[in-house]
Amino acid sequence: MFKFLNPSYVFHLTGKILNFVKIFILPISIIGIIFALFVSPRDYIQGESVRIMYVHVPSAWISLLCFASISFLCILNFLFKIKSASLIYKSLAPIGLVFNFIAIFTGSLWGKPTWGTWWVWDARLTSMLVLMFFYIIFILSYKFIKDDSKALKICTSISVLGLINLIIIKYSVHWWSTLHQQPSINLSGETTVHYSMLIPLSIMLCAFLLYSALIFLMKYRIETIRVKRKRLKKL
Amino acid sequence: MNLNIFLMNGHGFYVWSSFLLTTLACLFLFLKTRKSLKKLEKEFIKEAKTLTNKEFEDIKKQKVVKAILLSYSKN
Repeated sequence: MFKFLNPSYVFHLTGKILNFVKIFILPISIIGIIFALFVSPRDYIQGESVRIMYVHVPSAWISLLCFASISFLCILNFLFKIKSASLIYKSLAPIGLVFNFIAIFTGSLWGKPTWGTWWVWDARLTSMLVLMFFYIIFILSYKFIKDDSKALKICTSISVLGLINLIIIKYSVHWWSTLHQQPSINLSGETTVHYSMLIPLSIMLCAFLLYSALIFLMKYRIETIRVKRKRLKKL
Repeated sequence: MNLNIFLMNGHGFYVWSSFLLTTLACLFLFLKTRKSLKKLEKEFIKEAKTLTNKEFEDIKKQKVVKAILLSYSKN
C-alpha cells in the first residue's frame, strides 16, 4: 500500500496516467453534455430544469469524496507521519473546492425554478456552504503556515471537524425538515431515478471524475516539484 | 431552427447558466494549474542548471528529476 505513497513512484505513474486521461476526457465530456442537454427526457414535474442535475449531483459527490479523502490522509499523516500523504491532500483540496462551488451555485440556479428562491438557509444548503469554508480554511492553512508540523496539526483539526460536517451533510435531509429533497440514488437501497436519466448522470460523473484525475495528477506534479526545489536550494 | 432547444420552456437561462458556469470554473482551474506546472518546471530546470556539473549529473539520476526534464523537453 505504501508503494502508492512513494512520491517518486507516484510521480512516474502520473506521467503515464495523464496521457491516458487526456485521450478520454474530451470525448466522454462531449457525449455526457449531449446526453444531458438533448437526449435525456425532461422531468414530469420539474420540466427542463432537471438537466441541472447532471452537473449539480456529480459536483456535490466529488466535493464530498475529496473532503473525505483529505480527512483520511490528514489523519494518516498525523498518526503515522507519512509525509507524502500531504502531497496527495494538497492536490485534492482545490478540486474539492471548485466542485463544492459548482454544486452550490448550480444548486442555487436549480432552486429558483423549482422552489421559487435562489437560496434558503436549510440544513443541506447551509452545511454545504460550511464545507466550502472548511475547504478555504484548509487551503489557506497549508499555504500560509510555514512550520510544517504546526500546519499538519491545524489541517488535521480542520479535516476532522469537516468530517463531522460531512456526516451532517449526508443526514441533514433525514434529521431536519428541508426544502432539499431526500436522496434519489442509494447504493444500498432503492434508486428512484429512471435509467434514461441515470445513464447521462453516470456519463457526466465519469467525465467529472476524469477531469478531477487530470487536475489531481497535474497538482501532484506541482507539489512534488516544490519539494524537489526546496531540496535543490539546500544543495 | 427550433428555438425551444435554447429556451427550454422558460428554463433555458437556468440550465445554460449552470453548464456555462461549470465549464468556466473547470476551465479556470485547468488553465491555472497548467500555467503553474509549466512555470515550476521551468524554474526548477533553471535552478538545476546553476548547480555544478557533478551535482547536476547526480540529481539527474533521480526518477522525479528525469521525468521533469523529459516533460520540459516535450513542451
